[in-house]
Parts: sequence; structure tokens; C-alpha cells
Amino acid sequence: AHDVKTVGRLGGGDRDGKMSEIKKKIQSILPGGDWNPLYDTSHLPPESSDVVIVGGGVLGLSVAYWLKKLEKPRGAIRVLVVERDHTYSRASTVLSVGGIRQQFSVPENVQLSLFSIDFLRNINEYLAVADDPPLDIQFNPSGYLLLASEKGAAIMENNVKVQRQEGAKVCLMSPEQLRNKFPWINTEGVALASYGMEHEGWFDPWCLLQGLRRKVQSMGVLFCRGEVTRFMSSSNLMKTASGEEVNLKRIHEVHVKIDQSLEYQPVECAIVINAAGAWSGQVAELAGIGKGPPGTLQGTKLPVELRKRYVYLWHCPQGPGLETPFVIDPSGTYFRREGLGHNYLGGCSPTEEEEPDPGNLEVDHDFFQDRVWPPLAQRVPAFETLKVRSAWAGYYDYNTFDQNGVVGPHPLVINMYFATGFSGHGLQQAPAVGRAVAEMVLEGHFQTINLSSFLFSRFYSGEKVQEHNII
Amino acid sequence: MLKIIIPTAMLMPMTWLSKPNMIWINSTTYSLLISLISLPYLNQLGDNSLNLSLLFFSDSLSAPLLVLTTWLLPLMLMASQSHLSKETLARKKLYITMLIILQLLLIMTFTATELIMFYILFEATLIPTLIIITRWGNQTERLNAGLYFLFYTLMGSLPLLVALLYIQNTTGTLNFLIIQYWAKPISATWSNIFLWLACMMAFMVKMPLYGLHLWLPKAHVEAPIAGSMVLAAVLLKLGGYGMMRITILLNPMTNQMAYPFMMLSLWGMVMTSSICLRQTDLKSLIAYSSVSHMALVIVAVLIQTPWSYMGATALMIAHGLTSSALFCLANSNYERVHSRTMILARGLQTILPLMAAWWLLASLANLALPPTINLIGELFVVMASFSWSNMTIVLMGTNIIITALYTLYMLTTTQRGKYTHHIKNINPSFTRENALMALHLLPLLLLSLNPKIVLG
Repeated sequence: AHDVKTVGRLGGGDRDGKMSEIKKKIQSILPGGDWNPLYDTSHLPPESSDVVIVGGGVLGLSVAYWLKKLEKPRGAIRVLVVERDHTYSRASTVLSVGGIRQQFSVPENVQLSLFSIDFLRNINEYLAVADDPPLDIQFNPSGYLLLASEKGAAIMENNVKVQRQEGAKVCLMSPEQLRNKFPWINTEGVALASYGMEHEGWFDPWCLLQGLRRKVQSMGVLFCRGEVTRFMSSSNLMKTASGEEVNLKRIHEVHVKIDQSLEYQPVECAIVINAAGAWSGQVAELAGIGKGPPGTLQGTKLPVELRKRYVYLWHCPQGPGLETPFVIDPSGTYFRREGLGHNYLGGCSPTEEEEPDPGNLEVDHDFFQDRVWPPLAQRVPAFETLKVRSAWAGYYDYNTFDQNGVVGPHPLVINMYFATGFSGHGLQQAPAVGRAVAEMVLEGHFQTINLSSFLFSRFYSGEKVQEHNII
Repeated sequence: MLKIIIPTAMLMPMTWLSKPNMIWINSTTYSLLISLISLPYLNQLGDNSLNLSLLFFSDSLSAPLLVLTTWLLPLMLMASQSHLSKETLARKKLYITMLIILQLLLIMTFTATELIMFYILFEATLIPTLIIITRWGNQTERLNAGLYFLFYTLMGSLPLLVALLYIQNTTGTLNFLIIQYWAKPISATWSNIFLWLACMMAFMVKMPLYGLHLWLPKAHVEAPIAGSMVLAAVLLKLGGYGMMRITILLNPMTNQMAYPFMMLSLWGMVMTSSICLRQTDLKSLIAYSSVSHMALVIVAVLIQTPWSYMGATALMIAHGLTSSALFCLANSNYERVHSRTMILARGLQTILPLMAAWWLLASLANLALPPTINLIGELFVVMASFSWSNMTIVLMGTNIIITALYTLYMLTTTQRGKYTHHIKNINPSFTRENALMALHLLPLLLLSLNPKIVLG
């Protein structure tokens, strides 16, 4: 019968459809209908925001948290966090092994980790949200055990001195003491070991991320699922005190492209915070950082790039027990206990030549066989018989200059602040770094921990802040 | 009056026919000339009004407001140049046309003799303002703001239409000059109570009265700079002017009926000042301070003594200039930092010292520093309300203190302290901005030398 109808109406075939459209329109205009003269923009970010944080990982959320916590009148600053991957499938935060240590050689790093562990211990005071269950960050305070060979023993002693000065509780152990405490260790080649006795261990990064996310949303920070594609900036040619001309830029608009569509929203902003992790280098290039003759401040790029690192999970029934700390071998291999069923996580940092291709997150199992297992088996004889259960890969936001973080404003792009480049220890320092960046934005200088040696300008002046003996 | 109205109306074709690089220059200079034409109206005869025609008149209450309105148009045009620079030519011309239409309607409103004509023009001013707020405002909330603005005022003023028609029927005329002498005292029957309410509510909403002030912060924050300027400086005064005119008809019932509104105003004055202390958005702070100052005007008009009327007029003019100046300052901040939050742009005194001087002057005027006319207005109102009831001095005193507190808070937060890193490269003050501020503050300071012009 339907076919007959359409065949019968040869000229005015669409009249029925038009009538129903008109009926629908009238119905929606009448009270009770949902007519909106403008198209729906609820999926777009707001048109303006005081601070735009590019990147919603643990560093970005930490900066958002401290910005909202440290602002003097409550609710003063509007913050927008732009994260393009809302499942966090490639974010470094959740793929991290989750360790936290104070055993660094740079004093600022020790201070950062000390504050962070204090934050994690009291996480339910910092991140409490009304009517929500408390967070269980599953912190295992098992400590870090760094082993040093003959060559590195003197450096390790120096480092421990620095750490003790800052207030970390680290003890030095001789091979004899090592064998006493950890009988499963083979101390061949080990001259000295430093063992963190308190405030070191590992925790669940996903829990920290969700806790921060929840708290930050309750404080009024807006989230947007999109990608930053463009920065609109205005520049001023100014003269420095010494007479040379610099081109100072200020970003006044951020174009946020919505996921899986061509729509973008220009967000007017006063401050941009680059916490994009491994992709910070690309975001910095969008802002025009590094576009200039090399060797000048204009031409200094942000030296943060993606580096792929593998993490393997294996099972070894005869392996070390509950007291196992996070062990770092002088060869660079590391492992830690995972859970209570004789499972262990571990990996190794490849050398410069064997850097894997960071295009994807595929795991190379041969890397385990060739580079990770032999030193492991040599250090812990029980690991001769192990069975790899699973493995994954994650990105380091690797700072090719000195493998330490970049914090603070850019000297030329005046309103872009960095919180990135921590090359593998970003998660453990995130709470403290967030606070430092928030202080920089709100007060203009670092108040609690002085991170002036981590500013961007060190890339131009060449002063490396390098760790001795890091992974 | 035609010598002001016709040139203002002709500004429109002039805008549309100007060359693209001359639109701002043409409109600004000719509107300045028109404001000069309106100055002679300040030369008022003693007690009576200058009756210019059957339709228009000006007396010592409406003349200062007229001059304020015509003075404000060139200032609005100067202030809008920067944020309209990226629009197409037709849009720019449309914006200027909106402002000119608004100016025209306001001039006619302030000088109308027939109360019905006043009402029609009073409502008509809503339309260009609504267009300016919703089309050229900054954020998506501007639609909401426009809605609030439009419907609050409309709801309040529809009863006024009914009341005016009723008065026309009973007294036979609504010509203001005649009604002054014809007004009989009305008794306190129920229908007269409603008549009183109907007459006053429109102006209460416009002032705004504390309980009906929700549209003001929204409209001010979302409007572009010219919209904020004209809203703060002139449109609020429409309410005050209307109230002063219409209370002549409503004696002596005002003595009883005014109590709830007096209470709301007195309390609202202190409340909105206190809200200012907690504001983080600069424009929002200035908007709430407008509510606070206008509450003083409401109190003054409801008391109905000669001194309070003088204080109300002086306060209206003073607040018009000061508030507009503060909005211009806030806008110059916003154009540089792209954020209205106060704490993100601090320490501007070291970076823009001349602008800091204007900030200081405008803030001092806002907190009623002697010898500005702000102080004269406030002082007269305080004295009048003290003689009305001794207890009001407590609230008035509290308000003066809190006004000083939040004004200085605004000044020190934006100007003093160490500047933040991210405002290092803001553009220095443009001559246009300095001229704008000077043209706002110079009349204010000059009036302190001869305040009797504005003391109606």
C-alpha cells in the first residue's frame, strides 16, 4: 500500500515529509518543546577561560588542583583542562611503574619527592570530596635499593649526603649488610648500596589520577575532551636592558579541536600551561617556541620528546618476598614486587643506540630476553626461572637536554608555563611540581621549593641540571 | 531641543556614508560637537524650567543628565574602537548606529514633557541596549544576561503603563508641567496603593533596587564596553529621574509606602558593598558597586526633601562619570590580559604608570573623596536620611566604610604589588585610552569647583 502511495504522487512526492517537518517545528516552539535558537554547544569548551592547561595527566591535574587551592579569593580563576585522550590509553601517568623515591642527586628533586610523599601519605586530607569514598592509593613503603659498582660508589656516597641534608632517610649498606638483609641478592660487583628506609616505595598512579580528577572537578575546573591545534598570539617587539631586540609573544587564544570532528572552539585565555607530557615538544612548537635561528633564545626548542620504555610483568614462585624494595641494578635494570603472588614488574632503560621507535606502543619481547633478563638473573639468582605474564610500553616525556623537568614560564612566549619533561620521574614529583607552577602563576616566584634551576632559560644558557646515577 | 535631536539623528546617515577609515573620526568629533551644543542647557533659570516646546523641556534636574548623555556618546565611541577593529565594516557601522539610536532615545527621554512619551522612549531604550549586549557581548552567557535585562525591566514597567493611562483618564493630562500644579494629595486606599506600586516598580527595577538587581551584574559583565558604559552611566539614571518626576503625583502616600523600599535600599546598600569585597571579577565588582551607589539614590528620592533631591542629582551625575571611568579602566585591562580576573593582572603601576594615575583618580572618586561631587551627593543623602531617622546613619556609615574598603582593595590588587610574569609584554597605554580617561575625569574634577550646576 505504501508503494502505491508514493507512485501515485508523482510531482508532489515530498509533501508528506515537509508537513511532518513543519509539524515538528511547531511542536518544538510550543512551551515544553526543546527549541534552541542557537545550536547546542554543550560539548564545546567555554569561550573563555583564565588558564588553559594543555594535557590532563597527573601533572596537568596537579597544576589545576594547586591553582584552585592556592588562589586567594575562592573561585577567582577559571581553569580549563584540555585532554585529547579521555581513556588515558597512551598517557604516561597510568602506564608508569608508580615508584616514588627521594634518592636523587639534585637537591631540588629530593625536595620535590619529599613533598610529594607527604602529599600521598595525607592524600585524603588534600583530595577529600564531600560524600565520596576516601582514596586508597595502595602505597607500599618498601623503599628503593640502588646498587652501585666500584666506579659509582663515590658518587653514591655524595648523593646520600645531599639526600640526608634535605631530610631523606637513606642508609648506606655494604655488600655484607646487603646479603644479611636481602639473602636473595647476589652481591657480585656491588660495592655499595643505598636503601631508602622511609617515604619510598610505589603506589597506584591510576588512583592518584582519579582522585585528582574528582577533586579538581569538585573545585570547579572544567574539562574538555579535545586537542589543542593552534595558538593565536600577538607579539611585541621590545628591547631588553642591553639593547638587543626580542620579540615577546603572548597567547591570547587557544583553538581546541573536538575529538573526531572538524569543529574547533577558540578559547580566550590569559595563561597557558603546557603539561602535555611526552607531546609537550609538539605543543611548544605550535606556540612558536624554537622558530628562529639556532643558538638564539628564539631558536631554542623545548627539548622534550617521546621515548618508549617497556615494562614487563613476570611470575617467579621462588622470587624474593614481601620485603623486596624497588631494586635498581648498576646496569640500569630495575624491578619491584607487584602484589602478593610472587609477581614482579621490571624493565631497563635502553641505551641511545637501541632506542625503540616511539611511533606505537608495541612491546618488543626480545628486548626482555636480551637486555633485561640476563642482568636480572645475575643479580637475583631466583629469577633464572621466571615466566613473563604480560608487558606494556609507555612514553617518557624525555628531556634530551638533561633528563630533568622544565618548570616555569618561557622567557619569550610570556604566558606559557611549562610543567613537563621529567623523563620518567614526573609521576612521583607531580604534586610538588603542581604546587610550584601554581605559585609561579599566582605569586610570580617560587615560594616553597625553589625550582629556578629548572626554568626554560637553562636550555639557552647551557646549564645542565643533570642527575648522576639515574634510570 | 531640535537643535540637538536633528544632529543626533543625522549622525546615522553620516556613519553609513563615511569612508571606512573615517567612521570613527567622523562620529566621535561630531558627537563631541553635539555635546557642546547641549551645554547651554545647564544655564537654568532659578526655580522654573526652560520650556522649549510642547514636547520638550529641560529643568535643573534633566539638564545635567542631558549633558551627561551627550557627553558619553563620544566616549563610548572612543572606547569601542579596539574591540571592534576586527569586525567587518557593516558590523562596525551597525554598532555605531545602535549607539546613536540609543543616544537619540535617551536625549528625548530626559527632556520629554508628556509622561507617556517618557514611558515610550524609556521602553524603547531597551531595544538598542539589548541588541548591543546580545550581539557584541563576549561570552555565551550574554543571551541569558540580555534576557534577564529585558524581562526584568519589562515586567516592572508594564504596570507603569496602566498607571499612566489611569492618571491620564482621571487628571486629563500627563504633561509634566501641568501636573506639577494639578496634583492632588491621594488617600491611602487599596487602589491607590497599587497605583503607587505600579508607578514606582518600573523605576525600582531600573535603578536597581536591592531585591530586583539580579539583571545588573549579568548585563554589565556580559556587555561590551560601550554597553557597560551606557548602562552604568545613563540607563540607571533613567530610573532615578523617572522616580523623581513621578513622586510629585504620588504625595502624600509616599510617606507610608516608601518604608519597605527604604529598608530594602538601606540594607541592600550594605549588602552589595559587602559582596564587592568578595568579587574576583573586576567588571562584576564595579557592577555591584553601581547597585550600592544607586541604592543611596533610591533612599534619597524616597525621602523627598530638597536636600535629598540635591544629593540624589549630584550622586547620579557623579556616579555616571565615575562608574563609566572604572568600566573603561577595566576594559583596558581586559584588552591586554584577556581575562577579567583581578588577581591575574597585578602590579600594573610599574608597567603602566599613567594608567595607574587614572586608576587612582577614578578609585578616589568612587570612594567619595572630598571635594568631588561624589562626596557632596553622598553627604547630602546621609544628612537627609539622618533627619528622616537617626538610625540610618549607622547603615550609611557602614556603607561608606565598606565602599572605601572595596575600592582600595580593587586599586591595590590591580595596581600595587609585584607584577605577574605573564603581563610583562602588554601594550603601553594608547593615547586614545588616556584621552578617554581624561575626558571622564576632567568633568568630574571640574564639577567639584562648581557643584551647583548639578545640584538640581
